[in-house]
Amino acid sequence: MNKILLVLKKEIREIFRDKKSLSMMLVIPIIMPLLLIGLCYLFEIEQKENPEKEYNIGFNYQLDEIEKEIITNLNINSKNKNIKELYEKGDINAYIEKENNNYYINYDENNPESLKTMAKATSYLEQYKLYLQNNYLIDKNINPDEVINIIKISYNTLNKKNDNFYINYITSYAFLFIIMAITISATYPATDTTAGEKERGTLETLLTYPIKSKDIIIGKFLSVSLSSMVTGILSFILTTLAFIYISNNISLFKDLSIIPNIKQATITLLIIISYSLLISGLCISIASLSKSFKEAQSKLTPLTFISVFPGMITFLADIKTNFLISITPFINYIQIYNDINKNNYNYLYIISMFISTILLITIVLYIIIKQYKSEKVLFN
Amino acid sequence: MIKIINLKKQFTKQTNNKKEKFFAVNDVSIEIKEGKIIGILGPNGAGKTTLLRMIGGILYPTSGSILYDDKTIKDNEIEIKKDMAYLSGNTKLYNTISPYELLKMTLEFYDYKKDYDKRIKEISKLLELDSFLYNRIENLSTGQTQRVGVARCLIHNPKYYILDEATSGLDIISSQIILDFIKDERKKNKGIIYSTHYMEEAENICDYVYLINHGKIIAEGTPTAIKEKTKTTNLRDSFFKIIGGEKYE
Repeated sequence: MNKILLVLKKEIREIFRDKKSLSMMLVIPIIMPLLLIGLCYLFEIEQKENPEKEYNIGFNYQLDEIEKEIITNLNINSKNKNIKELYEKGDINAYIEKENNNYYINYDENNPESLKTMAKATSYLEQYKLYLQNNYLIDKNINPDEVINIIKISYNTLNKKNDNFYINYITSYAFLFIIMAITISATYPATDTTAGEKERGTLETLLTYPIKSKDIIIGKFLSVSLSSMVTGILSFILTTLAFIYISNNISLFKDLSIIPNIKQATITLLIIISYSLLISGLCISIASLSKSFKEAQSKLTPLTFISVFPGMITFLADIKTNFLISITPFINYIQIYNDINKNNYNYLYIISMFISTILLITIVLYIIIKQYKSEKVLFN
Repeated sequence: MIKIINLKKQFTKQTNNKKEKFFAVNDVSIEIKEGKIIGILGPNGAGKTTLLRMIGGILYPTSGSILYDDKTIKDNEIEIKKDMAYLSGNTKLYNTISPYELLKMTLEFYDYKKDYDKRIKEISKLLELDSFLYNRIENLSTGQTQRVGVARCLIHNPKYYILDEATSGLDIISSQIILDFIKDERKKNKGIIYSTHYMEEAENICDYVYLINHGKIIAEGTPTAIKEKTKTTNLRDSFFKIIGGEKYE
């Protein structure tokens, strides 16, 4: 154990003195919250309608004074001449044709602007219809409210606060960013401590010391794991701070519970630690087979994509967690994280995820220890 | 004493898409006694590094055995490595640390029981490291780096030294540091195995030499005995006389 700690101390010292390793470890976690905040602002801009925005609608009839008042209140500009041509030119986004008491709203359902204009046109007609209904009833000495509001309709949303699209989107992508940051953070030190050390000739020096190859590799594995864990935990802390900022400053997220509670945070941190251990083992295993630093880097590049891709698929395809998914590496972490975030999790799946990770790490460590006894790996 | 008996090491090389097995070290038997400098001489590719790596316990033999004071490395790897120091052109130092940190780390790895700082001061004084003891190794000159390499080797007071082409590529001053260090350690009754392709250098410091070619020992004895036997005036000529005009690339 003492020798493992000595190797770990040596490796940690090297990581912290190497500018590249340090930047890989810290830059992404720092950039990530800014990206998330920016993304949330974009959502808000997309969602918020500009109250000053004007809608151009064509009418094939003359509007009376009441109608003119309604469309003015709704920011509608009316056009009465050559409305079909104006629509073709794009000067108006919809037009209304009237035949007796029938009103026809003409719009393009594939055009988002036309769709919004159609909604405005509907709003205008609804308000005008209400006005006519009120007048008719008053003429007949009937209280309009008794007829029009004969029943009252209220809405209760059944959507869970934690199952909000925007929350799911932001939290899932935040976790994918964390996964990617951990992978990148593990890649560089894993390459440096194996292929890099081989290339620099210091591995042979290390092998001359009275240390078992098993202790060397466990020490190296722990150092890479520690580096990726620092990145993961730092990313999580900064992401949580970004979520606090988002929920306080971006109105779209104000009433939604985007900040993880203690239980969610604890399980998320455990997932981050598990993933860091697994990815570190995989990186060391792949990098130690390489002859040079460059070769190791090119071999490890696909791992960055592999680590994120399954998570994206599970998010887009809205897959439900089952036992098989809970033990499938890469998919399980993002899936369990999403479940925890929605407060819809099964402890059995969480436990099976941890057990499968421990088993995988054991297998990976066994392979690396074997590799480090191989002369082919050590001396090419 | 380190006793090497019928040591063999087989490798596979690939030429023209064909895998071919060959012996880098073939049936080598050597004895390394305390207080002696044993030279392993031969051209590049003769098998010197492979042989020394096996003695240093960083490569495993295909067959044969190495006895370190009658113990095998398989059962006593840590204890045997604690008695040895390995210095080679291939064993590089960590650039991001200082000589002090390297020496302290080395003492920790060797489970050195006494005061670390006292020992580092002793070695630093001996090899004149004081002026750059706390500078990063990457900022040292070649000669200074070489002295740090030597310090790394002797800091834990080993019983045996394995020195593989330790002066290769060094300037005359840096080489002399190593050669002086070897002579000093012999006086302290340390066993030294020294491989080189510089025949003249070996002739000057070795008590006993083994000439090696294509993994096999082709001659052994004191430098004087080999020269007398081959009726030559230096080991270089002796080597060429023994191999009978074989051409080297």
